[in-house]
Amino acid sequence: MNPPDSAIILTEGLTKDYVLGAETVHALRDVDIRIDRGDFVAIMGHSGSGKSTLLNLIGCLDTPTAGKYWLNGQEVSTLDDNELAHIRNREIGFVFQTFNLLPRTTALHNVELPLIYAGVSAKERKATASRALDAVGLADRMKHQPAELSGGERQRVAIARALVNEPSIVLADEPTGNLDSSTSAEIMEIIVKMNERGETIIVVTHEQDIAQYADRLIGLRDGFIERDERRATSSLA
Amino acid sequence: MNILETVRLALLQIWAQKLKSFFTLLGVIIGVTFLIAVIAVVEGMNRYVQDDFAGSIFGINTLRVERVRTRNTGREDAATLRRQSRNPDLTVDDAEAIAANVPGIWYLAYATDRFMPEVWSGSNRRKNVRLLGVTDEYLALQGWDVLEGRGISRIDHVRGIRVAVIGDAIAERVFPDGSPVGQHIRLGPFRYRVVGVLKKQGGLIGNIRDASVVVPLGAYHADFARRRARIEEINIKFRTTEEMEAGEAVVIEVLRRRHRLRPADEDDFGIESASQILDAWEKVKNVLLAALPGLVSVALVVGGIVIMNIMLMSVLQRTREVGVRKALGARRIDITRQFLAEAATLSSVGAAIGIGAGWGLAELVDLITPLPAAVSAWSILVAIALGVVVGVVAGVYPALRAARLDPVDALRYE
Repeated sequence: MNPPDSAIILTEGLTKDYVLGAETVHALRDVDIRIDRGDFVAIMGHSGSGKSTLLNLIGCLDTPTAGKYWLNGQEVSTLDDNELAHIRNREIGFVFQTFNLLPRTTALHNVELPLIYAGVSAKERKATASRALDAVGLADRMKHQPAELSGGERQRVAIARALVNEPSIVLADEPTGNLDSSTSAEIMEIIVKMNERGETIIVVTHEQDIAQYADRLIGLRDGFIERDERRATSSLA
Repeated sequence: MNILETVRLALLQIWAQKLKSFFTLLGVIIGVTFLIAVIAVVEGMNRYVQDDFAGSIFGINTLRVERVRTRNTGREDAATLRRQSRNPDLTVDDAEAIAANVPGIWYLAYATDRFMPEVWSGSNRRKNVRLLGVTDEYLALQGWDVLEGRGISRIDHVRGIRVAVIGDAIAERVFPDGSPVGQHIRLGPFRYRVVGVLKKQGGLIGNIRDASVVVPLGAYHADFARRRARIEEINIKFRTTEEMEAGEAVVIEVLRRRHRLRPADEDDFGIESASQILDAWEKVKNVLLAALPGLVSVALVVGGIVIMNIMLMSVLQRTREVGVRKALGARRIDITRQFLAEAATLSSVGAAIGIGAGWGLAELVDLITPLPAAVSAWSILVAIALGVVVGVVAGVYPALRAARLDPVDALRYE
């Protein structure tokens, strides 16, 4: 089966089981999702609802127990380790709750990392990474190490890093979970702007406020999709 | 991941934790220090023994025949010493018989010498001089370079021409201003024309050469010898040690026949070569060199294990980093390479410190002991190679563990 052109993510019967001792945990059961290019989706759910598992599968960090997953028209549920690394590098940009910047190295180097693994030359890498940092308003912080940056600045570095390889989708896992509310708003502004420029964005959150920014809301419970609704109006500040 | 970048980061980390890094690298440092220092001392000794010590007494691959062994072992009994004292003089005919019958000779020269209380020219004189009468190949065979002028020629020797080649100390004393070449020097009642000056010997062995006057054997025999045919020493140089060893047997054979010795008789002459000294040194050297790889490898294995442990700890501490790198697109090979490069950098730094320490140690030995030490280029290359190899070997297991980490687990790791 080939997905239609506009679908960037298409899953069919996506299932993930974990075996813990004698018990099997059904983290995700038979999930069918379709996300189109340019969508801004919030995935919500309590802890244990399967939202992290879904994010890991969509992000190609994990492989499903059963079911199929097409990313940008390519079936990725059957790929091996190296091919998945390639997909993560080119198609997916990650933004984490804890920023996950490499310590003891500069913001610029952190943003360069995806380009390094893409095999981009040093000179081009620097230029591209600088542009990405500039785009999130950190042109004057390039040579700073994460420890010298505020939480909001760190997350902006992470966003620059997620975008630098021009991925098909950006996956943000509780991107404001470690930030105060005003900084959270600032970060969400940036994410909204990214979406307005045409990026496909999936945010995992348990905060209603954050979910409000999205155009579409997918609720998970016990590994099933509980609700999937699209808001009529576009996002507001 | 760019290797240079990895190396740079590894160096930064080593520098950030200098003390910890030092202890991590201690094994490698000690191993390499030993390697460099011991090889330096062995090589230095080797050069000294072969070039200076053995070479200056006998010359390499050279046999010396004398009436009595000059270098007795010190354990000869009275009967031997008495028998030696009855040994006949060596003659020009003995030397010529050797020249005619021994195969493989490169140079052959014979000489006799005596003490001269003084030599002079005008009012300048030098006391206590060794006068040497030699054949034409003598200077070349002994490796005595003529600094100025020429040596003793075949014609000088055969015709007994009164020419002299003088040592540096004599030239300095007797001809303090200007070149001695072309001037005349007085030896007792005779006037000899100086044709050459020997290069200064100086150094450890003493300066017999510097205080020598070398003249043609023919002239010496005519002017200074009571018995015309008598000579003190016959020197025979061969190209290789094998030829020398074969030649030694023939020399003994020739002389025994000329001296009409029966099979049961002892040799009535002394024959020596540098090979005895070299043999003894060779034994010491082999013991040193045989023990060295053992010592060095014990230190390097210990060093490697410590590095492996540190790398395992580092992998554990940086589990999250590995997760992040994988999320950003690092393949297993990228992660493996990164940790291997780190381990190799770590142990190469150890090797570099060891090279420095070994070099210092060698210089110290050279300075404060009579042992001459010379750090050799090949030992440095070996040390660098060992440093990299130890690092890579020690890094393989930690690197593979890092590469096999599951990205989901690694990202969740606290």
